[in-house]
Amino acid sequence: MIRHLFKLIWNRKKSNFLLITEMFFSFMVLFAVISFVLYNYHNYKKPLGINYQNVWQLSFRSNADSMGQSKAIQEQMMQRLKSFPEVEAASLAHNNVPFSFSSWSMGVSYGNKESVQTNNYEVQDAYKDVFQLSVDQGRWFGPQDAAALHASVVINQVLKDRLFGEEEALGKQIKVDDSTSYTVVGVMPHYRADSEFAEEEPALFRRINLEKAKPDQLYASLLIKVKPGTGVVFEEKMVKDLSRIAKDWTIEVTTLEKMRQSKSKLTWVPMVAMGVVCGFLIFNVALGLFGVLWYNINRRYSEIGLRRALGATTRQIRNQFVGEVLVMATFGLLLGLLLAAQFPLLHVFQLSAEIYWQGIGAAALLIFLLAIVCAVYPSWQAAKIHPAVALHEE
Amino acid sequence: MIQLQDIEKVYRTKTIETVALNRVNLHVERGEFVSIMGPSGCGKSTLLNIMGLLDDPSSGQVIIDGQPVKTHSDKQLARLRNEKIGFVFQSYHLIHDLSVVDNVELPLLYRNVSAIERRKRALAALEKVGLSARTKHFPSQLSGGQRQRVAIARALAGQPEIILADEPTGNLDSVMGDEIMDILLRLNQEEGTTIVMVTHDENMALKTNRLVRFFDGQQVADSRLVEAQI
Repeated sequence: MIRHLFKLIWNRKKSNFLLITEMFFSFMVLFAVISFVLYNYHNYKKPLGINYQNVWQLSFRSNADSMGQSKAIQEQMMQRLKSFPEVEAASLAHNNVPFSFSSWSMGVSYGNKESVQTNNYEVQDAYKDVFQLSVDQGRWFGPQDAAALHASVVINQVLKDRLFGEEEALGKQIKVDDSTSYTVVGVMPHYRADSEFAEEEPALFRRINLEKAKPDQLYASLLIKVKPGTGVVFEEKMVKDLSRIAKDWTIEVTTLEKMRQSKSKLTWVPMVAMGVVCGFLIFNVALGLFGVLWYNINRRYSEIGLRRALGATTRQIRNQFVGEVLVMATFGLLLGLLLAAQFPLLHVFQLSAEIYWQGIGAAALLIFLLAIVCAVYPSWQAAKIHPAVALHEE
Repeated sequence: MIQLQDIEKVYRTKTIETVALNRVNLHVERGEFVSIMGPSGCGKSTLLNIMGLLDDPSSGQVIIDGQPVKTHSDKQLARLRNEKIGFVFQSYHLIHDLSVVDNVELPLLYRNVSAIERRKRALAALEKVGLSARTKHFPSQLSGGQRQRVAIARALAGQPEIILADEPTGNLDSVMGDEIMDILLRLNQEEGTTIVMVTHDENMALKTNRLVRFFDGQQVADSRLVEAQI
């Protein structure tokens, strides 16, 4: 029977062409949207490597007059912050803090291997405590690194894999922007600070040694971990105190939670929009499909009567019409599959092949489901047609 | 072979009640070639539909091979239609998107018959009706007579014991009509196939060995004719 259905649809390919094309385009749209959602979902499920709860970012802008005293002011601010019982840890950093819209990337190389474009973070020792980072190979920075011949760096596993592969990374010298050498002292299993939906990228942490910094060195961001339940009252008091130290500086406080939310919006808003557009498209396709099937069944009254006369049961008639739609969907999917399979095979957009194959599978499943849902009622109607009546239709 | 006992068929709408068949009793013996005649609207086709298990009588019962079919399920009725009965229609009822041989294979699709066996039987049936050279053609490429021969081949492919033919020559000119009639007569005489044929053509009816006349849903005459002639 399946062969018969394929033959029937193939012989009717001209009249079924539009329907098959519609299935093909629906499949491609679904494949694109599902792959996008799956990509984000896979990333969302991966560990961030940071705990951003109760972490605040203090970003500040100095004025031109006090530029020469930036280092001293930042030292005083740090001391003041550490004196607050509400503050558990504090670290200076550049603006490229987690969930920010800033980034700083550099080429990192090891031996003769090709340089790896890496996100660079300059942070203080307490950064580990602020974000409760874990280091599973080696260690985080400490005061002992101040006297090291080559400055110490901590890298994440992604960078380790790209630079060293299976080789041990600890103690190895790497070059940043092909000039300065650094010694790897630790490897973090994860550090994914761009967005919850973003893929983990290579990350390298360099140690801020404020004592050795130039007087006008400004780090622009201060990250603090506050005790749970610390709120606006403390924020006002802290900003007031810090403003006394950093006169005429602009200090803004925001929570990492808020930053995470606004960064996430950049992904889920388009995701929802695409989902809605896709939903409308599928709804239209479903209506079209339903209409065409309805029309086809009305057009094929006498054929239904004939098949009943030749021995088809009502179930076989119903199955035939559902089967025909599934065959049409298969033709559309085969075309779509030819195109969609190029994505994992050619590594388009650098997404993992697994996501594309899952996207293909899910899109195909949805198309088949859609076809079945649209075909069930008209097919049921077709099966209900009385053979004696149908045979008199021409 | 086929027994119709007190068959009544009434079509009812909210306002009108139309009696299509009124207390019809008919017994078709195995190997008979029965023609049914009567004016349009007298219930001939309704009778054939009831005989072919395509329609239910309002009352009375249909007995095939001694078995009443009243309580048969949809599946059992479909099986009987598929295995025992072959249909030939005035307007051929061929599927235009299938080739001649695929059309002929249709009844076998609803049986557990392998694709090779289906093809073999379809080709044999086409040979019987003299259409071996047209197997790959589509119905639109055939003349009316050839189309009806395909329809007969389709009925034969299932090797039925009974062929129900509803005005098989109605759409054909006299030459082609004679050709079709010859095929049916041969089937009846050489293979013993029971045939019930509805016709308007007295000459065709006279070639069969029994003529049943209908008027206003009632059987008004049933005459045995001389032996049918090819």
